[in-house]
Amino acid sequence: MDKIRQVINKERKTAVFPIVCADHCVRLLNMSLAEVANDGKKLAQVLEYGYQTYQYDMVLVFSDPYVEAQALGCPIKFSPSPTLLGPKSNRVTDRTGEIIKAAELLKQRVDVPVFVSIKGPFTLASFLIGIEDFLKALIAAPKKAEEVINQALEFQIGYLKRLLKVSANIFIGDPVASSSVISPKLFERFAFNPIQILIKKIKEQELITGVHVCGETKPIIPILDELGADILSIEDITPKTRTLKMGGVSTDTILAGNETRIKSEIKQALNEPYLILATSCDVPAETDMKNIKTMMEIAHTYHRN
Amino acid sequence: MNIRSVADSLSVRNKIGSKTKVRGLSLIQAPNLIVGRNMDFDDIKKAVVDLDVETVKKLVTQLLKQKTRPEEIMEQGLIAGMKEVGRLFTCKEYFVPEVLMASEAFYAGFDLVSPLLKTDKMNEKGKIVMGVVEGDIHDIGKNIVKVMLEASGYQVVDLGKDVPTEKFIEAVTRENPKILAMSALMTTTMMKMRDVVNGLEQKKLRNKVKVIIGGAPANNDFAKKIGADGYGEDASAAVSLVEELIG
Repeated sequence: MDKIRQVINKERKTAVFPIVCADHCVRLLNMSLAEVANDGKKLAQVLEYGYQTYQYDMVLVFSDPYVEAQALGCPIKFSPSPTLLGPKSNRVTDRTGEIIKAAELLKQRVDVPVFVSIKGPFTLASFLIGIEDFLKALIAAPKKAEEVINQALEFQIGYLKRLLKVSANIFIGDPVASSSVISPKLFERFAFNPIQILIKKIKEQELITGVHVCGETKPIIPILDELGADILSIEDITPKTRTLKMGGVSTDTILAGNETRIKSEIKQALNEPYLILATSCDVPAETDMKNIKTMMEIAHTYHRN
Repeated sequence: MNIRSVADSLSVRNKIGSKTKVRGLSLIQAPNLIVGRNMDFDDIKKAVVDLDVETVKKLVTQLLKQKTRPEEIMEQGLIAGMKEVGRLFTCKEYFVPEVLMASEAFYAGFDLVSPLLKTDKMNEKGKIVMGVVEGDIHDIGKNIVKVMLEASGYQVVDLGKDVPTEKFIEAVTRENPKILAMSALMTTTMMKMRDVVNGLEQKKLRNKVKVIIGGAPANNDFAKKIGADGYGEDASAAVSLVEELIG
C-alpha cells in the first residue's frame, strides 16, 4: 500500500509532498508553462521529472488554476504565468483532455499515487463571472450566484466522471472559499454542498480525495471536517481536525527560508500524530531546488513510520 | 450623544446660522447651506454598514436637496460608515463580499457628493498613487484599500491592475504623491514590486515618496528586503500605515 493511503489509514505517521506543480518543473527543464499546459504528454514529462528529482510520496497534476474556466469560455493568457483575462465569453479552449492524458501517463510511470487538482465549484464560478462581481452577487443577487455555482458544479461532475474513469485521485482546490475572502456562513451556504457532492462521487470509486483551501481556514475547520474528504490541505495546521491534515511548511519558508527555518517548521509540524508533511500551498515556481531538497532530507531525518 | 446636544454643538460651531425647521427636522441654517442632524448622517452611516446602495443614494440625494453641507454628508455619513465597515472587517465580522458591497454603497453617495466638495478640502491629507504590479490582475484588495483611503480623506490616483514598472515611475514623477502603494497577489509577480523600488532609486525619486506594499504573498520581512517603507496586511492596516507615515 502506498504511503499516502497508509497515513490515511493510520498505519503510518507521515508521508511527504512539497506541493510541486508544473510551473516549478518547467523552470527546471527550461520549458515554458504555456507549451506544457496545453500538452498532456509534456505535462506528464515535467511532473515526472519533478517526482524523479525530489522523490516525494505523491504526484499532483496541476498546470494552472484556469483549466476548467477556460474550458467554459474564460480567456486565459500565459505571460509566462497564467492570467485570467476576464469572465466567460464564447471562445472555448478545452484542455481537460490533456490533463486526463497526463494523469494516465503518470500512473504508468510513477509508483506513488497520482492526484489531479480540480477547482471547487465555488471558485470556478467566481472565475466565470469575475471574482469581484461574483462576491458581490453572494450578497446582492444570491440566486444568480447559485445559478453560476450550479453551472460550475455541472461541469465539474462531467469532468470528474472522465477523471475517475482513469482512476485518478482528486484534490479539490477552493481558494476563493477561504475565510480570507468569505465568511463561514457564506461558505456553508454556497461552497459546502458542491464540494461534498464531488467528494461523494470520488469516494464511490474508492479513490482518495483531498480538499485544498489556502489562506485563513481556522473559522471553517468544523465545516471542512464535515465534508468527508480523506485529506485537508490547509495553511495553518494547528487547529484540531478529524480529517487527516496536509501542510506544515509555509510557502514563504520554502521560497525564501533557509535550512534552520525549514527544520523548525517541520519539527513543529511533526507534533501532529498523523500528517502529510507538505507546503501550505503550491511551491512557488522560482523556489530554489536546494530548499525543496532540504525539506525532503529533513523530513526523512525525522522519519516516522 | 442625543439630538439636542448634537444640535447644540452644531449651533456653537455655526454661530452665524439660524435655527429653522424643514420637513419636521430641526436644522441649523447657514447663509447658503444647512447642517443636517446627526440622525440623518447616522442613517447614511447605517445604510453603508447595511450594504444598502439604494438607501444611501436616496438619503444623500435628499440631504443635498435640502442643501445640507456636502462635507458633512461625506464625513459624518459616508466616511463614518466606511470606518465602521473597516472595524467590522478587522474583527472578522465582515469579509470581502461585505466590504465590496459597502464600497458600492459608499461610492453611490460619494459620486453624488464629490462634485460639490472643494477639491483642496477633499484631498487635504495627501495624494497616493496605487496599483497592482505587472502580470497580476488581482485587484480586489487594491480596490478595497482605495475606498478605505478615500474614505479617510486621501486623494487616490488609481493606476489599476497589471501596471508596468515604468508606469509607476511615470506616475510618481507626474503626480508627486506622498505615498506609492503597490500590491501583488502571486508569488510570481511579487518581485515586480522590488523592480519598481529599484526604478525609483535609479530615477532619484525614492526619497521623495514613501513606498508601501500589500498582497497575500508579501509580509514585513519582504517589504524590508525590497526597500519598501512598510507593509499593510489588510485594508485597515494599510490606512493605519499611511496615517503613520504621512498623517
